[in-house]
Amino acid sequence: MVTVARETKEGKQSRSLTHKDEKCVGCGICTDLCPTSSIKLGPILPIARGLLKVDKININKENCVLCGLCASACPFEALEFDIDGVDIKERPEYPKWTDDAEIDEEKCIYCGRCEKACPTEAIYLSRSLPNVEELVRGETELDQEKCIQCGICEELCPAEAITMHRNDIDPSEPNVASSVELDKSKCVYCGVCKRACPVDAIKIVCTTCMEQEDIVTPEIEGCIVLNEDECINCGWCQEICPVDAAKVTKPFEGEIEYTEDFVCKGETCHACEDVCPCNAISIVDGKSVVNPLFCTLCGACAKACPQKGIIIKREKMNLENIRSKSWKRRLSGLTEENS
Amino acid sequence: MSVIIDIEKCGKIKDCPGEGLCIKLCEQGALEEVEGEIVLHPEKCDDCDLCIQNCPNQAISKEG
Repeated sequence: MVTVARETKEGKQSRSLTHKDEKCVGCGICTDLCPTSSIKLGPILPIARGLLKVDKININKENCVLCGLCASACPFEALEFDIDGVDIKERPEYPKWTDDAEIDEEKCIYCGRCEKACPTEAIYLSRSLPNVEELVRGETELDQEKCIQCGICEELCPAEAITMHRNDIDPSEPNVASSVELDKSKCVYCGVCKRACPVDAIKIVCTTCMEQEDIVTPEIEGCIVLNEDECINCGWCQEICPVDAAKVTKPFEGEIEYTEDFVCKGETCHACEDVCPCNAISIVDGKSVVNPLFCTLCGACAKACPQKGIIIKREKMNLENIRSKSWKRRLSGLTEENS
Repeated sequence: MSVIIDIEKCGKIKDCPGEGLCIKLCEQGALEEVEGEIVLHPEKCDDCDLCIQNCPNQAISKEG
């Protein structure tokens, strides 16, 4: 965390700018916008590959005039700007991002797809499932006297419900196992063990069909949390959710294009893939492919591409309440063609 | 076409802020460390330019 702080307006106001590197994706939007060119983008590819441990941006404290534009425009809330201790996000005169992500718990079926797909691990799921015992019914009987401890049932059991407790081979008590145990919480009464047992030591009766009326419909309870602090509104959860429970509004709207003479080096380079905070890029048939469904149009890939072949075409920026005309002009640079 | 390393600018591995960052970035094995020196194998270079873009000393460029 790096902070630039100063008294301004003849000591009547204190302003501070703080960079939170853990939230920074290295997109370079702040570096493009800074009116005094006080922010430099760091080596984002070596950082993304874990080769260098430095901050993704570098703020020149001497040159920074503490205007707050960078903090207002950072889509990832990696820059925080305070005036007299109040974050400008809380001040009505400053712009507000309207990008957002939410998961509707009413609709969520706790399948966990979004949790696995989320590139920033911003989703937490906990769920409780009923015991198998409550859903299948039957009877088992294992005759330890008949059992010859061959272990065939243990090896075959598809539910891994059978365990043979093997012992050390002892000449005074010649045996290979002390007992065979069947775990009723795992058994589904399929009868494979019974049919395979060479000495007929196992009895299995499935009563699931007979007792169907008594068996409850499985109720899946859970809780899903989307941590806004870690979420970058990439759209993965929305796209992967099978029941439309996740809704994402991205920071920008637009598309990715490539320069006409772009020769993508694919697997040799894959810088774009490595720096993308959204896991939106993959190398397919030796070429970089951005899936627009997951892209936030942040532009980190364009910055990292050594061939300068990626063009971020932002058509709309979901930042509202831009009151200053000069800021509006400056910010409009983001929604024109940038490479 | 391969890259060229400006020996004047290159800090070698001991003085490189990335301790031989170009070698670490090149997955083609076109840059190699031999006894603290950076050795270039032009035949392995795929012209991805990652080393050029990321050299902390701006010591790498293209011929011509």
